[in-house]
Amino acid sequence: MSALAPNRIARLRLDRWAIALVLVAIYLVGLVLSPSAFGNPVYLLNTVRQVTPVGIAAIGVTMVMIIGGVDLSVGAVISMTVVLSAALMDGAASNMPLAIAVACCAGILMGAINGALIAFSRVSPFILTLGTGIALIGLTQMFTGGTARGAVAPGFREVFNARLGGTLPVLALFLLGLTAVGLVIEKRTLLGRHLFLLGSNAQAARLAGLPVRGITIAAYTLSGLFAALAGLALLARSGVSSTQAGQGMEFQVLAAVVLGGTTFEGGRGGIIGTVIGVLVLGLAFNLVNVMGLPYHAQLVVMGAIIIAASALYGQLGGAGN
Amino acid sequence: MPLLEAHNLSKHYAGVAALTEVDFSADAGEIHALVGANGAGKSTLMTIIAGANTPSEGTLSLDGVPLRHGGPAAAQAQGIATVYQEFSLVPHLSVARNIFLGREPVTRLGLVDRAGLIAQTCALLDRFAITLDPMAEVGTLSVAQQQMVEIARALSQPARILILDEPTAVLSLAEQENLFRIMRRLRADGMLVLYVSHYLNEVLEIADRITVLRDGRIVGTRKAKDLQISDLVQMMIGRDAPVAPTAADSPERAANFVITYATHAGQQELTMQAGEIVGLAGLVGAGRTTFGRAIAGLHRPGAIATLTHEGALLNNSTPRQAMRAGIAYLTEDRKKDGLFAGLDIVANATAAALPRTTRGGFRRPQVERAQAEAVLKRLHLVAARLGMPVAQLSGGNQQKVVLGRALMTEPRLLICDEPTRGVDIGAKAELHQIIRDLAANGAAVLIISSEFEELQALAHRIVVMRDRCFVADLPVGQADQQEMLIAASGGPTEKETA
Repeated sequence: MSALAPNRIARLRLDRWAIALVLVAIYLVGLVLSPSAFGNPVYLLNTVRQVTPVGIAAIGVTMVMIIGGVDLSVGAVISMTVVLSAALMDGAASNMPLAIAVACCAGILMGAINGALIAFSRVSPFILTLGTGIALIGLTQMFTGGTARGAVAPGFREVFNARLGGTLPVLALFLLGLTAVGLVIEKRTLLGRHLFLLGSNAQAARLAGLPVRGITIAAYTLSGLFAALAGLALLARSGVSSTQAGQGMEFQVLAAVVLGGTTFEGGRGGIIGTVIGVLVLGLAFNLVNVMGLPYHAQLVVMGAIIIAASALYGQLGGAGN
Repeated sequence: MPLLEAHNLSKHYAGVAALTEVDFSADAGEIHALVGANGAGKSTLMTIIAGANTPSEGTLSLDGVPLRHGGPAAAQAQGIATVYQEFSLVPHLSVARNIFLGREPVTRLGLVDRAGLIAQTCALLDRFAITLDPMAEVGTLSVAQQQMVEIARALSQPARILILDEPTAVLSLAEQENLFRIMRRLRADGMLVLYVSHYLNEVLEIADRITVLRDGRIVGTRKAKDLQISDLVQMMIGRDAPVAPTAADSPERAANFVITYATHAGQQELTMQAGEIVGLAGLVGAGRTTFGRAIAGLHRPGAIATLTHEGALLNNSTPRQAMRAGIAYLTEDRKKDGLFAGLDIVANATAAALPRTTRGGFRRPQVERAQAEAVLKRLHLVAARLGMPVAQLSGGNQQKVVLGRALMTEPRLLICDEPTRGVDIGAKAELHQIIRDLAANGAAVLIISSEFEELQALAHRIVVMRDRCFVADLPVGQADQQEMLIAASGGPTEKETA
């Protein structure tokens, strides 16, 4: 009823900022428990560096989830990119540009295949990307013969894993830059608006003459590209080739996107929320680390934090819908 | 003493007044209509009487005894029964089970007493002369029959007031007559029938007295026999009807759209001219919407529309192609495939014409806003700001936004499916004027409407559809409602198919 409008608007605003409140809350808890760590900019920036691969992949997955889809293949794309680019670099600096280009193209190809299969068939995105992800893991293993291949080119790690002025990690800047690219796509391009229209009401989008298939393919292609860039970031951070580097990462990505306010129904949310969601996960992980819990207990606490944050978020905003 | 009396009734939502100091009374043995534009407060008043809503201030009394507020169940116990527009039936249960749902007579073993249930149902249906098979599964019944089940359910407990919310919106003429017959019978039994409706001609036909609301206040209560539609409209909108319901002059341009419609019932043609408004009449289920959607590229197997414009074939293979060919379709179901409910007005209005506002794939929000503003101004959209979510607008304003979206594509052929459904009378007149202007500027317009008055007010020509076929094509001057209904329902001797 229209008479309830003022209340609804207040709710929507709160809804938008809820995840930022969660971030501040977790930060404050960390500051109390471990002032030396959470009060230190170097430590915090290192946290950002840690979450960069998940963050980059989450930007792409956000676009897919805005149209009401989902991409479970990002973990497999990350693993593939890590192995593929390491193998192509083969320890030589001169191979680096080719390796990066091929890795990006592979991600784009994988995303485009996902998008086309979803646009032209009636398979649910959940099942389809689960399937293509599993197939890609298999292809990656076949390509490597089961063991990690290749070596990082000299310079690649040094540049991307450096800290400007000894504090600001280049990877954090990389995340910042790609966030900006994602935001421009989301807010300033025709595609960005089309993503929201399609996610908001697919039937109305079709009737309004939107290129529904094209939008779908574009969203998944971007998700593939961002997953490939996430793989490159992961390779820069770890420095070692691994066939399982991205295993399970899709779940961290999904958790971050959903925490950030982009729902599985689509039509709402956005990249800012996603990046804050990624930071919430990163800080929460560091928080349990600082508390000195063993790794498996850390996972339990992490899971609980995700659920609690999501519930809080629902209380603040989502409940109105 | 009046049977139902409301004194100084007010209702506020978050500080906004939906009803202000309403005094209202209605008698036993009366059919009393509540009318008003959307947002006038008639639904609020109705839900308060039905017990589904509590007033912020004021009292309600039945026979001089104040009513207890205790939700719909308490109202029902005190003799107030309500049939809402949305039904609450269980589709896979029988008519009898639905009527006595939760109150079934039971045998000594605690099982449903089927024989008793059927007997009670038959008695109830006989008492109100409702023709229904007590054993029929409700899901298999027509909408009109389901409505009868709802009414029977409402009357299965002793009631002194029956509230009917927009009961005729879904009915054909014969079904409506049947409903009116039952209403008159209830009146003769000394019951008060409160009748909420948009359809003024029906209100004048059936009601004894009419109470008009505007902006949450009572404008007045009059005897129906003293009123004309124009009086009612004036009371509802507080001024004279903004447009006289006369069709625009017939255009004299050459025929240029030829629509070929292929269905299992055969292949037929419909021609339209630029500047012409063609009304498509027919009963619910005649296939008008399927036809309109097929033209717009939403084909179904067995319903394929192809069309030529001045001899050249237009590509309408998908909605996107149809839109490129200059065909726009205004959906009858805004929620389902019209609105982008979570997005703002500008996003909704520009959705179809977005590429016209962009440069090199980049959006220009100022241009979007300016274009949306221009078209929505033309449509007299009332909104606090263009950045507000479209879901917060009234039905009429939502319809203007969706129509604005179609207009921004500059269509040569516009198909309007029930363009004023759920729209208040002021906005309706405005929408009619917009459609006339559009035709005057050279667009061909196909209007699908279940309201004869709307077709008569808008169209140059009225085509009647029955069972997927065009069965009559009349200039509006010669189109007489009776004749049209006969054509739509397959002649006086045949049984209606709707």
